[in-house]
Amino acid sequence: MEGGLQLVKKTLQSKGFPQVELSERRGAVVLEGEVQNWDDYLAAGYGAVGYGFRGVVNNITVSGLKNCFTESRPAVKDLSLDSSEFDVVIVGGGIIGCAIARELSRWDLKIALLEKEDDIAKHTSSRNNGMIHPAMAVKLGSKKHHYNLRGNRMYDQVAGELGFELEWPGSLALLTKSWQILLGPLAKRSARKKGLHGVKVFSRRKVKDLEPNIGDEQRGAFYMPESGIVAPYKVTVAYAENAIQNGARLFMNTMVQGFVMEGSRIAGVRTNRGIIQAGLVVNAAGIWSDRIAEMAGDRFFTIHPRKGVIAILDKKTRNSQKLILGRAQLNGRSHTKGGGLTPLIDGNILVGPTATETPDREDYSTSAKELQFLEENHLPLNKALKKDDFITYFAGTRACTFEEDFIVEASKYVENLVHAAGIQSPGLASAPAIAVDVTDIAVSILKKKADIKANPNFNPRRLEAPNPGKLGLEDRNRLIAANPSYGRIICRCEMVSEGEVVDAIHATLPAHSIDAIKRRARAGMGRCQGGFCTPAVLNIISREINSDITEVCKREPGSEMIVGRTKDKARAGYEN
Amino acid sequence: MPETLMTCIQCPLSCRLVVDTGSGELVVSGNQCRKGEEYAHDEIINPTRSLTSTVATIFPDFPLLPVRTDGEVPKDKIFEIMDIINSILVEKRLRPGDVVLEKIPGTGTPLIATADMREL
Amino acid sequence: MKTDVMVIGAGPAGLSAALAANQGGAGVLLIERESRPGGILKQCIHDGFGIVRYNEKLSGPEYAFCDLEAVKSRNIEILKNTFVLDLKMKDSKFKLLLQNPDKGVFPVTATSLVAATGCRERTSRQVFIHGDRPAGIYSAGTAQNLINIHGYLPGRKCVVLGSGDIGMIMARRLTLEGAEVLGVYEIKSEVSGLTRNLVQCLEDFDIPLYLNSTVTKVHGARRVEGVTVAAVGPDYSPLFGTESYIPCDTLLLSVGLIPENDILEPLGLAMDTSTGGPIVDQQMMTTIPGLFSCGNATHVYDLVDHVSESGATAGSAAAGYCKKDCVQGEIEVKAGDNLLYAVPQRLVPGKDSVVYFRSARTMDNVLLQVEAGEKVLTNKKYIRLRPPEMERLVLEPLPAGLEKVVLSLKEAETDA
Repeated sequence: MEGGLQLVKKTLQSKGFPQVELSERRGAVVLEGEVQNWDDYLAAGYGAVGYGFRGVVNNITVSGLKNCFTESRPAVKDLSLDSSEFDVVIVGGGIIGCAIARELSRWDLKIALLEKEDDIAKHTSSRNNGMIHPAMAVKLGSKKHHYNLRGNRMYDQVAGELGFELEWPGSLALLTKSWQILLGPLAKRSARKKGLHGVKVFSRRKVKDLEPNIGDEQRGAFYMPESGIVAPYKVTVAYAENAIQNGARLFMNTMVQGFVMEGSRIAGVRTNRGIIQAGLVVNAAGIWSDRIAEMAGDRFFTIHPRKGVIAILDKKTRNSQKLILGRAQLNGRSHTKGGGLTPLIDGNILVGPTATETPDREDYSTSAKELQFLEENHLPLNKALKKDDFITYFAGTRACTFEEDFIVEASKYVENLVHAAGIQSPGLASAPAIAVDVTDIAVSILKKKADIKANPNFNPRRLEAPNPGKLGLEDRNRLIAANPSYGRIICRCEMVSEGEVVDAIHATLPAHSIDAIKRRARAGMGRCQGGFCTPAVLNIISREINSDITEVCKREPGSEMIVGRTKDKARAGYEN
Repeated sequence: MPETLMTCIQCPLSCRLVVDTGSGELVVSGNQCRKGEEYAHDEIINPTRSLTSTVATIFPDFPLLPVRTDGEVPKDKIFEIMDIINSILVEKRLRPGDVVLEKIPGTGTPLIATADMREL
Repeated sequence: MKTDVMVIGAGPAGLSAALAANQGGAGVLLIERESRPGGILKQCIHDGFGIVRYNEKLSGPEYAFCDLEAVKSRNIEILKNTFVLDLKMKDSKFKLLLQNPDKGVFPVTATSLVAATGCRERTSRQVFIHGDRPAGIYSAGTAQNLINIHGYLPGRKCVVLGSGDIGMIMARRLTLEGAEVLGVYEIKSEVSGLTRNLVQCLEDFDIPLYLNSTVTKVHGARRVEGVTVAAVGPDYSPLFGTESYIPCDTLLLSVGLIPENDILEPLGLAMDTSTGGPIVDQQMMTTIPGLFSCGNATHVYDLVDHVSESGATAGSAAAGYCKKDCVQGEIEVKAGDNLLYAVPQRLVPGKDSVVYFRSARTMDNVLLQVEAGEKVLTNKKYIRLRPPEMERLVLEPLPAGLEKVVLSLKEAETDA
């Protein structure tokens, strides 16, 4: 690789980074030194790609950039998991980790999934547009393409088994220039090569027939029928719950702090709740997956977060659009899907996401500028939409590597470590397929040491509470007659009953915070943003988990909603 | 302080009143009607307010009963009265107008219930 | 189930509508989504209600109690905990699908429908406050519910954004209940609520009011730790260099109310973008025959007395509609110069009407003119008009044949 390093050196010199020191470690090129700003850091990282190395480890420091980044860490510290033993420890409770837990639960294994937050799907898995991409915007031959195509094809079955909602509205990649329609045959050929079905080129008139509110500047579109929508956090919950029902254990507020190595093996996983003995470790740590790899001495890639800001529109806009709308990205070098307008499975329209590089992995703040960008760039795709329709907005970060491809493989240096890292868009579409492959890799490693049998009790179907809103009239009435709390609506915007909130609290994966209930049952997700239902939800949580109202949180401990009670003085005498 | 500024709230006109007490007598200006003058006098000599709050009850289905003073109380006693209100515990289901406290200590004013506790 | 008049919402507008429809001889069904009737008045424990109607300063629950007693005395059926799942029109009747815990899901057909669905609060997201989403951001109404209904204190050190009435009233409530209110920030150059509330809620308790200022950012990942406030320019954008940080644990928002008509929208009725509610005539009938709107669902009122008045108007007209004694208003009412809006937006000729309007800005010595073409129908002088204070005007019956009347405010010529 000596030659490779020379070439990287040359490239970086030509880009103006002669000061960057290069070395090779375990097949990856390691960059060190200092640059002026984050753009330079990124330019150097990208500049080192493509010279035959496994990956780019970008350890360049940025002058002036202090390590004062946002990162939530669990407040608890105990030994509740110390000396526990598991065949597989999965790091990360996003959609990838949860899907892997579920696929692994087909086998007779002791599985633990560790999540540093108080709930699963708190980061990238709940901060995306919920689109099951067709495998069109990905490079043929990449892992992204491989998993996107396979994952996309698996969704119908997975949705049937796990009981989450899935629709295939199809997507339009809109063209603003008439000549772009001439690229139609090329696009169709490329789609065929990539394994897509039914890709068509639509004239403006055809687009207008399908979407009467389409912006005036759109001249036509590429139509991709194999584009789906799901609620990504609900898919994650569904995977996690089925995994739990099949014997896997999920541990929240549990953060990996290091590994106990024995030679080239991980013997123990060091956490804030003690050291867990692990037969095998799966790295599904999303935006922190390079840190987990580093802890195991196997870092050969770098995650650089790419932030996406998203706005959600009022449900009353939903009828103004049927398909997923985006701008065609004819520039192959662009690293973003460009964002657009995505109908949501729950009936809203989502605007975005944007794509901006940021050094801060958990910076989910939004700014007026970003909102303005969404308003000016995405909203005009559908003329019926206006800024007044925004009911909320938020941000997420994508776990990008400099190679801009997924890493789904066994570690080359640590015997019992499997990486599912660098999973960014189209990670949601790819998750079912990635989980199957990671499971195969993991099981084949474990089989070297022991005989691994199938889980005799595995049930692919998730057992779940009823959803009155989806029942027919008679079934719904039967349900309400048996339990009137399903007839008592507490969230007026999303029509969520008390019974559904109670179910979410006592579900396989219990939801004990305002936000967790919002993600499960949608109470507080609507246009009033919890203005009306928050008091009711607080009371229901407090009653159901038998905790004082001042202990009920919006999210993790530290986010308590109520600081005290009035009239304590009067009650003190009575209650004693 | 011979001059006090205040806003009259007797009608939506919201006149800015200037009350001059320099001469030992109250002289109000800025008002456009008689109500303004009366308001200024009251505000300087004995400002009063009606006070609304809640009191605790023993009923979990109706934990707080809204109450108000039946008439106005001296403005400077409001926090004292809040202390009294905060220590009351209602043990009966009351209706609007029912007396919670015959006379709020330090005033002659009753405290009355303003909601119907039988309406659940 | 069948009914002549179905009233949605048992707040002050709905209670008055149900009563008036009943008095008009119609069969009435009143539904309420909460377990107790009274609407938002249940949590408005402060006084000042009923000044016009009763010449008394009642508290919200007392005011609601009076109407509720009247409704009960006439045996009007109230279904509580009841939601509208679906609303359609068929053969000019209203077909509703309702749900409650006792009856499950059940259909109701109504000849006439009165929507008294109230309003909701604008959220922090809708005023574009940025930052993360920690606990401790409440709309003033939510805080009011927590404190007044449940006895929960939402915070100890609070900043209030927006000088709407509920915001100022909550500043006082929080202070009385032992919390500290650090200030009320108002982006406009004038207070948004009534002067009475400015004096008795803020000035009485030395709570500072900062005009031409806003909250630009919320700090804290789990619980609010502070807010950034800044002065704003004439276009309401924050002025660079004026930012300051205020440590606090709670941000309360009182930044406007939005009429709630979401269940009606599928019927395709005409809406007024300046009020946020449906276009109505002086009988409170919308552009859909038989469908009435009243109270804060039509436009946000200042005084509950006027909410009740609109409810009674709607209820009695709805009863009339069932007897085929109700025509639709076709004379257009236009809010002209210097008016924020005027309601009703349509008029039926030959009938009295009550018109509500707000001025677009604070104006002194103004003349309100109602004109039809070149002809001035009414002139009325006002010493002072402010956008937060709504004006009520009784208009003489209009002659038939008019197409449009225009209301406008003219600055009076400087007379000596």
